[in-house]
Amino acid sequence: MTTVLIVDDHPTFRATARMLLEAEGYDVVGEAPDGTTGIAAAGELHPDLVLLDVNLPDLDGFSVAQRITAVHGAPAVVLTSSRDSSDFGPLVAGSGARGFISKGELSGAAIAELL
Amino acid sequence: MPGLRRALLALFFVGVLCAAADVALVLTSDHETQKALAAIIGPLIGLGFVGTGAFAWWRRPLNRFGPLMTAVGFAWFIGALTESNEAVVYTFGSYVGPLYLVLVVQMVLSFPSGRLDAGWPRAIVAVAYIDAFVLTLPVFLLDGNLNGPDGAPDNAFAIVHAPGVANAIDVATSLLGFGVAAATAAVLIGRRRNATPPQRRAQAPMLWTGLTVIVGLGLVFASDTVGLSDEVTGLVGFVGFVAFAILPFAFLAGLVRTRYSAAGAVGGLIERLNTPETRVSLRTALSDALGDPTLQLVYWRESAGHYVTYDGHRAEVPEHGSGRAVAEVERDGKRVGAIVYDAALRDDPSLVRAAAAAAALQLENERLEAELRARVEELQTSRARLVEVSMGERRRLERDLHDGAQQRLVALSLQLGMARRKVEADPATAGRLLDASTAELQRALEELRELARGIHPAILTDRGLGAAIEALAERAPLPVDLDPMPEDRLPAPVEAAAYFVVAESLTNVAKYSSAQHASVRVGRDNGFAVIEVSDDGVGGADPTAGTGLRGLADRLAALDGRLEVQSPPGGGTVIRANIPCATCA
Repeated sequence: MTTVLIVDDHPTFRATARMLLEAEGYDVVGEAPDGTTGIAAAGELHPDLVLLDVNLPDLDGFSVAQRITAVHGAPAVVLTSSRDSSDFGPLVAGSGARGFISKGELSGAAIAELL
Repeated sequence: MPGLRRALLALFFVGVLCAAADVALVLTSDHETQKALAAIIGPLIGLGFVGTGAFAWWRRPLNRFGPLMTAVGFAWFIGALTESNEAVVYTFGSYVGPLYLVLVVQMVLSFPSGRLDAGWPRAIVAVAYIDAFVLTLPVFLLDGNLNGPDGAPDNAFAIVHAPGVANAIDVATSLLGFGVAAATAAVLIGRRRNATPPQRRAQAPMLWTGLTVIVGLGLVFASDTVGLSDEVTGLVGFVGFVAFAILPFAFLAGLVRTRYSAAGAVGGLIERLNTPETRVSLRTALSDALGDPTLQLVYWRESAGHYVTYDGHRAEVPEHGSGRAVAEVERDGKRVGAIVYDAALRDDPSLVRAAAAAAALQLENERLEAELRARVEELQTSRARLVEVSMGERRRLERDLHDGAQQRLVALSLQLGMARRKVEADPATAGRLLDASTAELQRALEELRELARGIHPAILTDRGLGAAIEALAERAPLPVDLDPMPEDRLPAPVEAAAYFVVAESLTNVAKYSSAQHASVRVGRDNGFAVIEVSDDGVGGADPTAGTGLRGLADRLAALDGRLEVQSPPGGGTVIRANIPCATCA
């Protein structure tokens, strides 16, 4: 079973995403409300996947992605946001993340396609 | 102060009696060689000091210079005891004789206030007293030479006959006397160097005469040691003596000089201000007339309740005791500005008053210009702040939309997707997901409604200010009293500004004030819409601290309106907005 860490500052989204991913066969092993906690949790929990919000209260999601993926054997990172990927231009590609899924289109299948 | 006047007249009368005694002593003296001269000049000098001192005392009762000058006169009379033929009286006269010289040193060092500054002046005067009355004592006791004229009585205080030792001490005290005179001269010269031009002008006669006295005195003290010839010593002594005799008149000349130059200066000022060819800035003209290059002009802004500079920037007038003095200038009973000048000129307030009166018209003209500049600056600032406020509002809207409704719609979309996938296999779960979605949708709608109201409340456009404020009061988490609202509609920008004043104020009341109760009043007053929101909370609101009240002030400034905040700690808060409005008669 693919293990997942959700990093997002909106509790509503974290709860809904957990429900959705668990329903589709993912194992959500942790949640984090900001970038700093997210980076620490990724190091401790060693999830297969980090679902990472772009707009975090402390750090920028792209730099969080860079720091998580810089480590050897790092988890795959998928960026997400309620904004559209076209709002971010080339930032997603340069962040080390596998890709971007708009929050409204989040599903197990969409994630599987990127992994 | 008639009591003081009587006392000073009495004092002068005592001076006249002393002068008479002086004449009697001179005329009966066995050793005075120039009786006629001494009998005329001596009393005149003494009375000159007593009279001028009493006059200065009467004019400036709190200034110690007058009393000091009077004391010099009486000390001079006491010195006349050396005319006596009685040995004891003569010796006593010789002993206290130098008192008037010490007092002169004290007087010139404490000019013009009569008070000695701490440091050098005080130390010099202390040394002078010790030199004159403590160190010279052995000269008398050891039978020293009193340097009297031929035929003068002997030293009556001699206990031991040791004139050699006594005269050595005498030389030492003379040298110390020279030191006192030199130090005094140095202080006077340093003081002139540090003086402002108005101070210099007022002090010049006294300073130069005093300096001549002191230099003469110093040279006489030093003459024996330096080996000046008798002729030179005599001449120097004579010059110093003449300077001493005219010291009171130098003081009077200083007074007259400032008076006379004041009249001339103000006359010149008026002429300069009214001749187009020679016209300079008012500040320059006043600065020249008063002889104060540091002079500043500030202009009163009635509408803002503070002074501004010629450039229209806000100006603070200096505090009392800062070395600067302030003269308010009025025209037709209204304050137009103020002259900020060197406090040394305060000794001559009539000069500043006369100059202020002469400058009032032009100051009023410059005030209007300054007012205009201040207005332009205010408009520029408030326009820039309005742009900033509107940018800030747009940022806030974007964030509110992103964090609020958008997140709820995202969740809604995900829940509906899940429900769609469950609808056949697990209808019960699908039903729960749909319920959750409905609740999410309700909350999203509520947030959007709140947001829309913050942009512009529809009720305000449709039903007017009264209804919109009633709605605000109803939504507030505490009881809000509403005074009857104006029935006619106000201009739309005024209504909107008034609405946001009430909305922001009630939000602040709910957030920060811990109030039990608030009230809102909207009225018209003399061309203004007046909006007042008050509460009984903790007070202490600072209009400059948060963005809310400042944003309101900027909104109001765009309409030429003003926001006042009264919020003493513990005394509740009153927010009052005045907005000009054509229909608010």
